[in-house]
Amino acid sequence: MSTDISDLGMLQISDSFFPTGMYTMSNGLEALFYSKRKMTFEELRDLIKVFVEYQIGPADCTALGNAYESASKGDLKSVIAVDRTIHAMKLVKEIRSASTRSGTQMLRCVNYFITDNKIINDYAAAIKAGEAHGSYPVALALACNAMSIPKRKAGLALLYSFSMSMVGAALRLGMFQHFDGQRIINELKPSIAHAIDAFIDRPLEGMWQFCPQLDIVQISHEKMSSKMFIT
Amino acid sequence: MSSHKRIPRVGVGGPVGSGKTILIEVIVPILAKKGYKVGIISNDVVSREDADRMRKNLATEQGLMPEDLVVGLATGGCPHTAVREDPSMNLAAVEEMESKHPYLDLILIESGGDNITTTFSPALADYFIYIIDVSSGDKYPRKRGLGIETADLLVINKIDLAPAIGADLKIMERDAKIVRPNKPYVFVNCKTGQGAKEVADHIMHDVLFEQTPKAVAKK
Repeated sequence: MSTDISDLGMLQISDSFFPTGMYTMSNGLEALFYSKRKMTFEELRDLIKVFVEYQIGPADCTALGNAYESASKGDLKSVIAVDRTIHAMKLVKEIRSASTRSGTQMLRCVNYFITDNKIINDYAAAIKAGEAHGSYPVALALACNAMSIPKRKAGLALLYSFSMSMVGAALRLGMFQHFDGQRIINELKPSIAHAIDAFIDRPLEGMWQFCPQLDIVQISHEKMSSKMFIT
Repeated sequence: MSSHKRIPRVGVGGPVGSGKTILIEVIVPILAKKGYKVGIISNDVVSREDADRMRKNLATEQGLMPEDLVVGLATGGCPHTAVREDPSMNLAAVEEMESKHPYLDLILIESGGDNITTTFSPALADYFIYIIDVSSGDKYPRKRGLGIETADLLVINKIDLAPAIGADLKIMERDAKIVRPNKPYVFVNCKTGQGAKEVADHIMHDVLFEQTPKAVAKK
């Protein structure tokens, strides 16, 4: 069996060193931390699980799957439709803005070393023209497609990077020690795998998200006067 | 994605309390007087205090720029990462500013307070000012560190405090020359504005190449 070079692409794109600015996001965790409510290890793990199963999974992961398929067909119109839908579904301004900022920067970085991919170039042009937003899951889908990373692995990269950024935020907030962070990631693996199975092949009209409590926490982060994270 | 011409960018880095914010506050009026339009992005580790202060001072009170030209950015607790290893969020903010305000002549990017190893990604800043202050002792320049060694301009602030803490400015000058051969340094007192014109002159000469401000050239 020969080594698949696309696996290296997945490692590259999932690495915290890949410049997408995700280390600046806590997705509301900072607001919870400053609400003075002590969070246990299990609660943090379950919080990320809720994100994976009720927000990033059914919304971002489904968006990624649809954008990936559209990119495979070279269908820019459908890519833009996914981009607009996921953008509209992000209810909290900070979260919406963070997604487009990291999406456009990811695209720019990939475009720096993959210059001849038509769908990436066309999508980038659509963002420049104000016709698309550059949402993160769509940018990631196009990047993975261009690097021949299979769709399911692209989904893994999405959910893993998200979970890792949450754990990173918790560590920097001093909520847990570093071994706990790795234990959380380890315990999240079944949820991540399940979310890929459940959401990556759903049609665009099947995209959903529902965690109003987390939306409220994220809105309360927007109103914090002093903060370390952009979300 | 950006669809505009890149506006020259100057990064201002330095330790916590060294005077990054006040340096910008004394430079901007000098540049504004010459007709240059400036935007500011201020990275802060745990608050937006610096951005709020500059917005109030430079935009609201002095009217030197619209209020939305001072943008505060949180850095996830990693000030040097935000301007060097992964400057994505700063690049996004800069590009948004460039696209909304293409008439700007210059964008100043203030890093969050950090240690002496701070540097800016060349993708983010075209020119890098590193500021230290006398109150940390006259040993500072010879301690080196990437920021002090590689900055395009080293600024040494709070020179008025030298006698009070027993710091010798001559030693600082000697060491600055040793660790930064052929690179400029400026002694300043940002509180009184002493030396600020010299810093602004470096920007106008080394970054703006003495070009006529866009707004003036357009007339």
